[in-house]
Amino acid sequence: MGPAKLSSDPYNLIITGVGGQGNVLASRLVGTLLADHGYCVTIGETFGATQRGGSVMSHVRVSSETTCSPLIPKGKAHMVVALEPTEALRVLMDYGNPACQALSNTRPIYSVGVICGDQNYPSSEDLEKWMGEMTARHWLIHATQEALQMGSPIYGNIILIGALAATGVLPLARQAFERVLSRTLSPDKVEANLTAYDKGYSMIACF
Amino acid sequence: MSQRLDPGAGARCLLMGNEAIARGALEAGVSVAAGYPGTPSSEIIENLARVAGERNLYVEWSVNEKVAMEVAAAASYAGLRSMCVMKQNGVNVGSDFLLHLALAGTRGGMIIVPCDDPGALSSINEGEARQFARLLEIPLLEPGDFQEAKDMTRWAFELSEEIRNLVMVRSVTRLSHASGTVVLGELPEPRKEARFTHTGFILDPMTGAVISAPVGYKHQQQQEKLEKATALFEVSPFNRYVGPDKPELLLITSSACYLYSVEAIRVLGVEDRVGLLKLGTTWPLPPKLVEKHLSRTDQVLIVEEVISFLEENVKVVAAERAHAIGAKTFFGKRDKTVPSTGEMNPDHVIAALAKILKIRYETAPEEYRKRGQTISFFGAPSRDLTFCPGCPHRASFWSIHNVLEMDGREGFVCGDIGCYTMALTPTGFSTLKTVHAMGSGTGLASGFGKLGQFGMDQPVLSVCGDSTFFHAAMPALVNAVHHGSRINVVVLDNGGTAMTGFQPHPGLSVDATGKQAPPISIEAICRAIGAHVENADPFDLRDTQKKLFRLLERADGVNVLVLRQVCSLSPEKKWKKLFEVSVREEVCLGETCGCNRMCTRIFRCPGLVWDAQKKKARIDEVICTGCGVCASVCPSGAIEKKEAA
Amino acid sequence: MKVFGPNELLNDVQKGGLCVGCGACVDLCPYFRNYRGKTSMLFPCTLAQGRCYASCPKAEVDLDELAARHWGGSYSGEPLGNYREILAARAGEKMGKGRFQGGGTVSALVTFALKRKQIDAAVLTDRKGLEPVPRLVTRPRDVAACGSSKFIAAPTLAVMNMAVREGHRRLAVVGTPCQMTAVAQMRLNPLARDDFLDPVAMAVGLFCNWALDHRALAAFLEKRLDPSRIRAMDIPPPPANVMILETADGKLEFPLDDIRPLIPQTCFICPDMTSEWSDLSVGMFEGRTGWNTLIVRTERGGALVEEARARGFLETESMPAPYTDSLAKAALQKKQRALRTATTREVLNVNQDGKRSALRVRPEVVDSILSAQ
Repeated sequence: MGPAKLSSDPYNLIITGVGGQGNVLASRLVGTLLADHGYCVTIGETFGATQRGGSVMSHVRVSSETTCSPLIPKGKAHMVVALEPTEALRVLMDYGNPACQALSNTRPIYSVGVICGDQNYPSSEDLEKWMGEMTARHWLIHATQEALQMGSPIYGNIILIGALAATGVLPLARQAFERVLSRTLSPDKVEANLTAYDKGYSMIACF
Repeated sequence: MSQRLDPGAGARCLLMGNEAIARGALEAGVSVAAGYPGTPSSEIIENLARVAGERNLYVEWSVNEKVAMEVAAAASYAGLRSMCVMKQNGVNVGSDFLLHLALAGTRGGMIIVPCDDPGALSSINEGEARQFARLLEIPLLEPGDFQEAKDMTRWAFELSEEIRNLVMVRSVTRLSHASGTVVLGELPEPRKEARFTHTGFILDPMTGAVISAPVGYKHQQQQEKLEKATALFEVSPFNRYVGPDKPELLLITSSACYLYSVEAIRVLGVEDRVGLLKLGTTWPLPPKLVEKHLSRTDQVLIVEEVISFLEENVKVVAAERAHAIGAKTFFGKRDKTVPSTGEMNPDHVIAALAKILKIRYETAPEEYRKRGQTISFFGAPSRDLTFCPGCPHRASFWSIHNVLEMDGREGFVCGDIGCYTMALTPTGFSTLKTVHAMGSGTGLASGFGKLGQFGMDQPVLSVCGDSTFFHAAMPALVNAVHHGSRINVVVLDNGGTAMTGFQPHPGLSVDATGKQAPPISIEAICRAIGAHVENADPFDLRDTQKKLFRLLERADGVNVLVLRQVCSLSPEKKWKKLFEVSVREEVCLGETCGCNRMCTRIFRCPGLVWDAQKKKARIDEVICTGCGVCASVCPSGAIEKKEAA
Repeated sequence: MKVFGPNELLNDVQKGGLCVGCGACVDLCPYFRNYRGKTSMLFPCTLAQGRCYASCPKAEVDLDELAARHWGGSYSGEPLGNYREILAARAGEKMGKGRFQGGGTVSALVTFALKRKQIDAAVLTDRKGLEPVPRLVTRPRDVAACGSSKFIAAPTLAVMNMAVREGHRRLAVVGTPCQMTAVAQMRLNPLARDDFLDPVAMAVGLFCNWALDHRALAAFLEKRLDPSRIRAMDIPPPPANVMILETADGKLEFPLDDIRPLIPQTCFICPDMTSEWSDLSVGMFEGRTGWNTLIVRTERGGALVEEARARGFLETESMPAPYTDSLAKAALQKKQRALRTATTREVLNVNQDGKRSALRVRPEVVDSILSAQ
């Protein structure tokens, strides 16, 4: 008995953000969870220089059959999860398609160009509008805001994982997530992360 | 954390390529592993270091790659299995040693694992290691997926012992830093015995001396070893063919390009038209195997990264066997069917196949793509690389840049390799004017500093990091002092090898496995060499600039200024703010004469934000790490720093 | 006055060879800095108009405007500028005798003003070895140390800018004619800022025919002695034709012909020998050692002189006419040299689009100066 059938095989998920936001952490958690389910998971990342404030992407491919290329071909993403909203748009330009979905944090991280006045950062209205144009369905949630209330911005990644679970595109059940966390974290840290997961999950329910 | 040990043989795990390589080495019973940090290779040593105690390993971050190879070779001579690990540049650094190692031969299985960076995602070159296998006349293996990353690494030790020579296992970023499903194998009992036997007949490779002479004799032996490897490659399971008997097109590939090729074939739906030959043993090419598959068709596409290494070697076989298999039409890098520079990806392969097979292919509807480009232009401002908030380099280059401008003699800084390489760009005020290899900054400066007799009067500086200092800058410093070169070397000591993930080096008091180690003083070495040495805290802008001015005014000799301040990402610094920093809006001059947004426009720390509505600067409390340097930069005193609780 | 910005300043003045290193543009902001006599721009500033350009004495200086704003008249080209009286002066007995290189008039006036709290600080120039060091002096007893003659262009106004930023509002500034020109322009509030307050309570100008470039002089002297041993320097009046250095190891003389190449070319477009835009101007009294020539130009300048004299800090006598005549003659020669050089260098009365002028003087005034005897 293999894992549950995916809506597409391979299912192509891109997790994107700005270097240092915890992209790698998020992709590994999601990947491990799905690997536990019995799927073949392939994750392609970029470490190193792009961590210093540059754009980063993790390509997470989920298949019931085979290891895939660690890079998703252009135009073939099914879901884009963004820790930073402009990164969602950047990724959708190359990897999106009219059937693609997107789930994004709202909190901006200004590039140095924006900070120093060379570039303009788009308004949240425009961001929402454009995200709608580039996807079949999208969600924008205040993950960092909630994370700061919980005490640290890094919870934003977990909140997004919970939200992703709620969208139903991939099997990311709470129990399975708890098992993954318990392998490496102390019980109180597991609790905190589960709270973040629940928060993210609930934020999708109200769409 | 020993994720690689808990699950037993047969367990399926999601492993990063580097973790798989480390696991493969453990399954082969490796005893000694040495390397120098370099993206994308560093996690291999880190993973082995973590289990060094449990598995009785000796794991070392060596001072540079050449020494790492020498350390691993010693273990091999003593009968242990060993490996050395590095990014592509490391092979260049140690190639002289490798040349002699490969000629003399090895005893315990020894492998070298270079991890290349096609596309230079974390490098300033995309040179690659594969050519060295040919040059050094050693076998080359290239894993094509994560399972092979483990299995080939394990087998490479066996191969090495079979032929008694070094074996190269080459990885790339998109394997090393990517993750995939791996089924684990058995872990053997850790070895405990080492002995360097040297009392036998001098020419006996296993019991005599380890020498590459007599060269003719040893070279002959070396080539015979290679022939032995070739015979094994003819039947290796790492070379696989999938596809029709007589395809329209034969696609030959290796490494991560294998996964891209599989993807491309699937996306275009041409499984019945394209035969895929995946090679895992790419030097020497097994000629019979290659000939067999070349016979299938007349059209051959070769997909690899970065240079046309595989392509040219396949063509040699094709030329030699042309009388038997006929002439072939080749597609690849030399005819630009696939790009000749940059990293490979599934889209390049799709485009190549579509072109050769005459298929129309669209990644997404044209309208969608056009709209996406427009939206991205307005909605996704590009992100320049920048020093982290709180990075000491920003402060150091602020001082160096300003002192050189005020000095006004067109002084310049020769740069080196590390995070501070980014000082080529505005994040470091475009202060660096040359960058080459590890230690080259001081070497170049040593040269510039002797050009006074030709009328050159520009002040000459070089910078290097603390790790780079030990790696390669010391000989250049010796050279400069001995030859009386008039230079100023600035050592940016941030307490670790930061760019690659904050690994330790000989200047620190811990080693790769976290054990205590005697820290070696950079200042003491510089003084012993004969330089004039001072140090300063780069966060103290005034003191740093005062000292720089003083050093620039010194009449002769080599000056070394050590700017010491911990990296913003170091474990001891992270999340701990020195100061609470804030902007007093009523004092902020903003765009007006007297400031013109010095902090956001020029200093450009990501923690400083320009509020276009209020026309004032403010601090982003999520990003600011509380170093307080901007308070010294602000001309109106609007930025305030208060000691953090 | 046409006000442009820092980029025009950089191109026209610093890169155009017109910078004298007066310090007017330095420390107004973080972009211009002066080190060992050279003014450089650390980073680009994007403003179209800046106080730096507005103050610069080598950028769009409109002498009619200065005359109109400072004494309500027009610039006539009189050799000694606008003044109320010319006196011979020296430090009075309250200052102690024999301490000064010349007459000690400047030190006396500034010391007195500080003691009487008519000013809260004085912007002066000290010297360390060869290097002029601008100083903000707040204690009367520290004034005299800055009294020695320096013939090197010093960025003294950088300290004035710093003092203003730190909140000083009643400053005395002692400087050369180019510096007095900069101060005069600054006091006009050229950027029309609402928060502007004139910080200069007394401007004391010095006489100057030319100055020496700091780095050029340093390079010249370093070959010949250890500059840190220099105690004093002097250029006696003609017919002496030498520069004299008093050092810890004795006296050294250099022929002026060797020194003249060290004069920054920009000095030759300066039309002002006696600091026409100050409250008081002080210089040598040739032929009478121990005394200065003191030109009183404004009411407040005159008031300070009277009080200082009344309290024994200053002694004055009338100035004989032959001397003022010869002073005027020397001043006229400098004006003529300046106008000719500025014309040749195409920096006088420039009216081409996209180009700027260093100096603006009404053409009829230019003609009358050039044809005067």
